[in-house]
Amino acid sequence: MTKNRSSANKGVFCAAVCANRQIRQRFYRLRLEFSGAGAEAFSNFKPGQFAELDLCDTALPPAKTIPEDLSNAAGRKILLRRPFSFTDVTMQGDKTLVDILYCVVGPATLRMTTLAAGNSVSIIGPLGNGFWVPGGKKRAVLVAGGMGAGPLEYLAKILTADYPGIEAIALAGAKMAKELPFEGRLDEISQQLGFSLPVFAKYGIQSVVATDDGSAGHHGLVTDCLSEWLGGPDLASESMIIYSCGPEVMLARVAEIAKEKKIDCQVSMERRMACGFGVCQSCAVECRVSDSSETIYKLCCEDGPVFDGMEVVF
Amino acid sequence: MNESVDISVDFAGIHLANPVFTASGTCGYADELGEYMDINRLGGFITKSITRRPRKGHATPRIVETNSGMLNAIGLANIGLDKFIEEKLPVLEKMSAAVFVNLAGETINEYVAVAERLANEKAIAGFELNISCPNVKKGGISFGTEPVQVKEITSAVKKAAGEKVLMVKLSPTVTDISVIARAAVDAGADALSLVNTFTAMVIDIESRKAVLANKTGGLSGPAIKPIAVYLVNKVYNEVAKDRGVPILGMGGIRNASDAIEYIIAGATAVAVGTANFVEPGCAAKIIEGIKKYCTRNNVAQIRDLVGSLLKEE
Repeated sequence: MTKNRSSANKGVFCAAVCANRQIRQRFYRLRLEFSGAGAEAFSNFKPGQFAELDLCDTALPPAKTIPEDLSNAAGRKILLRRPFSFTDVTMQGDKTLVDILYCVVGPATLRMTTLAAGNSVSIIGPLGNGFWVPGGKKRAVLVAGGMGAGPLEYLAKILTADYPGIEAIALAGAKMAKELPFEGRLDEISQQLGFSLPVFAKYGIQSVVATDDGSAGHHGLVTDCLSEWLGGPDLASESMIIYSCGPEVMLARVAEIAKEKKIDCQVSMERRMACGFGVCQSCAVECRVSDSSETIYKLCCEDGPVFDGMEVVF
Repeated sequence: MNESVDISVDFAGIHLANPVFTASGTCGYADELGEYMDINRLGGFITKSITRRPRKGHATPRIVETNSGMLNAIGLANIGLDKFIEEKLPVLEKMSAAVFVNLAGETINEYVAVAERLANEKAIAGFELNISCPNVKKGGISFGTEPVQVKEITSAVKKAAGEKVLMVKLSPTVTDISVIARAAVDAGADALSLVNTFTAMVIDIESRKAVLANKTGGLSGPAIKPIAVYLVNKVYNEVAKDRGVPILGMGGIRNASDAIEYIIAGATAVAVGTANFVEPGCAAKIIEGIKKYCTRNNVAQIRDLVGSLLKEE
C-alpha cells in the first residue's frame, strides 16, 4: 500500500444488500455486493478510504422501535449522502463484497437498519486516500476509539495478507463496554494483550481493550495503553508505525505520543461533509505547512481522510 | 423524437445548447464533476467564487443538514486569482459550456481587480457577481442589500468586465428583491441569478450553541424551492420581463420538473446546486428530462416556456 491519490475509477454505483446484522445494541454490520463496474472499482478499495451512501429513500423502522433519544431526529427528511469506511472487502468470482460497521446515531443510520437482502443502495466511491505503509516497518500498532475500529479491521487484514514482515497489535477503546463495536461478552475480557477480539484475532493479531469506566478490559484510556506498550523494551521507533482512527481528542493524544517517541503515525480524520468528492469544501482539516508557521486547510475527503499525524493541527 | 425539440436558449447574447447550469460552489473550479458526468453536456458552468487572493475560509463545522436542506458557511474558501488562472483556466478553455466566473471580494476594488484580469480571457463567457454570500463579514451580502451599493458595485464591475456578460446574483434575504434587481439592471447588469442561500441557523439544544463554527450559514436545497420559485416569478414580472434581462433561476432543483417550474416562473435558464453533492451527474439527467417534458407537452422550443405561467382569467 503506497501513498496515492484517490482511485481513478470512482463513480456512482448500485450495490445489492446481502445482509444487515445487529451485533450489539446500536451497532450493525451491513454487507453489500457489487457487480460489474462497481465490483471492479471497489476491488481496489484501500483501508481508510470511504464511500458515500444514499439513504434518503430508505424506510424508517417502525416508530415503536426507534430509541427515545432519536425519536425527534428520526422524522427529519434527510438530503445528503453519508460517508462510511469499510471493515472488509472480499472478491467472490466477479462480485465484490464489502462490509460496513455502523452505529445508529441519527436519522440516516436509523434508516440504514431497515436495509435487507433484496434491497439496493446507491454508493459513490471509492473516495479519499487510505492508510499507507512506508518502507522498513516491522511493527504496527492499530489504535481504535469506538467506531474507529471499522477501518482498522480491514487494515489488519491487509497488513496480515500483504506485509508478512510486519507484526501488528490492536488497541481498542471506548467510554464503556456497551460502546465497543464488537460482538461477544466484552465485560468478561482480559486486561492483557490476547486474542480476545475476534475481529483482529481472525487475522492472527492480538488486541487489548480499554474502557474509560473499566466496564471492559483495561480501566482507563486507550492512549494510556499505547504509552505503556510503547514504554516496553527493545522497540526501535523507526521500524514502528501507529495507525489510528477514532474521536479527534484521542487522535490528538495518539499524535502527541507518536511525536514524543519519534514514531510514524497516521490518523483517519472525520468531518461533516456534504459531497465527499471535493466540491463542497465543507470538510476542512487544518494542517501544518513544512518549514513554516503558517497553516492551511486541506480537505478531509480528497486530501484525507488519512493524514500524517504530524501534519494535522489538533 | 427528442431531437426535434429545441432546448437551446439565448442568455444575454450567449447561445446555450440547453438551459442547465451547475451553480457556483457546488461544481468546483472546472472539471471536478467530470468523473461523474460529461460536463460538456452542460449549458453553462459557474465556478466557485474567486477572490483576488486565496482565502482559507471558516473553521469547521462548515455545514449542517436540515429538513430537506442544508446550511453552509464555507467562507468563500478558494485558491485565489493567480492559481485559478494558472491551473484552472486551461481546463475551462476546453469546456463547451458557457463558463461564468463567480466574483467575490471584500471591497469593490477587489471585485474589479478580478474582473479586469479575466475580462479578455477567451475561456470565459461572463461573470456572476456575488453580492449575496451570507457568510462573510466584509463584502458578500453587505453589497447586495442596499440599492445604492448594488448600483455602485455593479457599474464598477460592468466597466471592468469589458465585453463579458455580467450577471448579478441576488440574495433572498432582503425586504423587496425587485428593488435590488432593478438597481442591478439600472447599473448595467446583463442578467440576474437568483436566489443565493437564505441566512439561517441551527442550534444544538444539548450544548445550546450554534452548530456551525460561523454561527449562521446559508440554507439551500429542496426546502427553499417554493420560495425561490416565487421570487423568480416576482423579479420576472416586476423587472426582468420588461427590461429584457434573462434570469438564471436556482434553489433546490433536483430534477427536470423542478427546473421546468423555474422556467415557467420566468427563468431563461436554471442552475443545479446542492443536488450536485448528492447526485453529481444529475444535471445531465435534468437536461434529458427537459427534452422529454417538451416532447410530451408539444413544446417545440424551450424558450417558449419561459415566463409562461398562466394568469387566472
